[in-house]
Amino acid sequence: MGSSVSQAGAPPPHPPTYASTPPFAPAAADAADAAAAPPPKPHEEEATEEKVDYLNLPCPVPYEEIQREAFMALKPDLFEGMRFDLTKMITPYFALTHSVAMGSIEIPAQGSEVIKVPTSNYEFGANFINQRTMLMGRVSHEGRENIRVKHDITDNLSLKINAQLTSEPHYSQGMLNFDYKGKDFRSQVQFGNNGFYGANYIQSVSKNLSLGTEAFWLGQQRKSGVGVVARYDTKKMVATAQIATTGMVALSYVQKVSEKVSLASDFMYNQMTKDVTASFGYDYMLRQCRLRGKLDTNGVISSLLEERLTPGVTFQLSAELDHWKKDYKFGFGMALGE
Amino acid sequence: MGSVASAAAPPSPHSALPQEGAPPYGPGLAGILPQTSVGEEKKEEKVDYLNLLCPVPFEEIQREALMSLKPELFEGLRFDFTKGLNQKFSLSHSVFMGSLEVPAQGSETIKVPTAHYEFGANFLDPKLMLIGRVMTDGRLNARVKCDLTDNLMLKVNAQLTQEAHYSQGMFNFDYKGSDYRAQFQIGNNAFYGANYIQSVTPNLSMGTEMFWLGHQRKSGIGFACRYNTDKMVGTLQVASTGIVALSYVQKISEKVSLASDFMYNHMSRDVTSSFGYDYLLRQCRLRGKIDSNGVVAAYLEERLNMGVNFLLSAEIDHCKKNYKFGFGMTVGE
Repeated sequence: MGSSVSQAGAPPPHPPTYASTPPFAPAAADAADAAAAPPPKPHEEEATEEKVDYLNLPCPVPYEEIQREAFMALKPDLFEGMRFDLTKMITPYFALTHSVAMGSIEIPAQGSEVIKVPTSNYEFGANFINQRTMLMGRVSHEGRENIRVKHDITDNLSLKINAQLTSEPHYSQGMLNFDYKGKDFRSQVQFGNNGFYGANYIQSVSKNLSLGTEAFWLGQQRKSGVGVVARYDTKKMVATAQIATTGMVALSYVQKVSEKVSLASDFMYNQMTKDVTASFGYDYMLRQCRLRGKLDTNGVISSLLEERLTPGVTFQLSAELDHWKKDYKFGFGMALGE
Repeated sequence: MGSVASAAAPPSPHSALPQEGAPPYGPGLAGILPQTSVGEEKKEEKVDYLNLLCPVPFEEIQREALMSLKPELFEGLRFDFTKGLNQKFSLSHSVFMGSLEVPAQGSETIKVPTAHYEFGANFLDPKLMLIGRVMTDGRLNARVKCDLTDNLMLKVNAQLTQEAHYSQGMFNFDYKGSDYRAQFQIGNNAFYGANYIQSVTPNLSMGTEMFWLGHQRKSGIGFACRYNTDKMVGTLQVASTGIVALSYVQKISEKVSLASDFMYNHMSRDVTSSFGYDYLLRQCRLRGKIDSNGVVAAYLEERLNMGVNFLLSAEIDHCKKNYKFGFGMTVGE
């Protein structure tokens, strides 16, 4: 569940979703075009839009998932050392998982030197997945707990809960989420600890374009913000833009080159910290293996290979080189039963 | 090349060849061999003591145990590429990236990421072998092996560094007799060493060595013994430095070997024993070990194609809570 909460911008102009009389359809289309960047072929777009059935637009992807294709390619689950995951199905709905991770973790150090210490971790998990309910729990041997709940209250209303509990005081977190799915829109209301409240709304504007907005309030920090997003996707490409009053600008673009290869790029800019990063990556899907790689402007090159040895047995190789910090991370792992 | 500076009591008088047809010597040998004296007596009467095999070099008496118990474990990434330019000459490129352990106060283990590149050149000829390695930090490693005559061989080992007084060199003259070997070594810092190993029976060989470290004004003697058949190898080494080393390797089948060793240092009261296995399959080799210091290690080499090997290395030190994992690839070997 990708998370891009706490981003805001100017509220988007919201064109009307109905067009009762034919003469108004072109006007609505023009308004939509004005709201977003003008398309490269206005005449062709105009002709296409005259046939668009605005009463049957598809439902957009959830607000926090608008960048999911870029995330899949550019943010794989890299690791260092050794990883072993075992999933055991008890019944068709219930599964237990055991995860062992051993390797090095970076500790903060004065100067530019990178310092690591060896560490190891065991995690026990239980999953219950039903048509209407999903329960996932993870307990780490250090006492950390991770809980996720998803429950369909009605066909259109979902309840989601995320919680991370720790033994350290004041470090636990929780988030309650109500997700309403309309015919061609989605809205969410969120409640979190430390006085966090958030809401977002995303609407399909045309068959390929959806626009959304969000607002949030951090009570303890007495801070609020608004954000705006846009997503344009076809069968072959996905482009997204996100702006928030926190000064965050995020763009991403994913192009499907063939059935097996996708290329992805993203751009992040933070006006407050003047921090800027651009990444370029690829996602190569072969018959028995998947190879993802990425290169970014911080001098980081990384790669993750997942190969299915037999059904249910997956072998992983992870590599990450940070040339500027002179940090290198390499690991291998195995997953059974997924 | 094995370990120098291990010595012990003078070798058994049985290192001398008994004359053929001297019955009083037969029963004496039974005390050394682990077989029954009656069976041994019969076998010994047929042993041709004038045609014993040549023993393995002194520094290699534990080579089977070392192969199983001391694989080249590593952490991070390793990539080796070897290009043969002609029948005798090849170039090699090695890249290593990973973590390096740095000394730290307390029991905590601290690592820093490190990377280096190594360039190598190899020349292999039936009578001459030259191997050179240069690293990005300026270290140079050179090995020379030259057959002066059919029986006399010269070996040179050198490690040169940019740091003053840290370079090392060693000259080695190796004489190979029909059933014995002798070596004479000269090294820097006024190191002198010599060793001699002799086959006593078709399965048993015994040796002795002595060394002198001029700069440290220290000397020592050592004693070594090796018993091997087609199925097993047992070795013993004792030295006046206080080192006692035993090893035993048993070949279970054509594919599986089990190995164990025991090391004791009388001076530092340090003792370690290890148990390991060496599993040879058609396209891969798996070696593993566990020792009394709580270290569990495994090393997997798989041949993906002709000349392309994939490596996985894992080492877990439970007592020190240190974990090392790495993978690599070898191309062209």
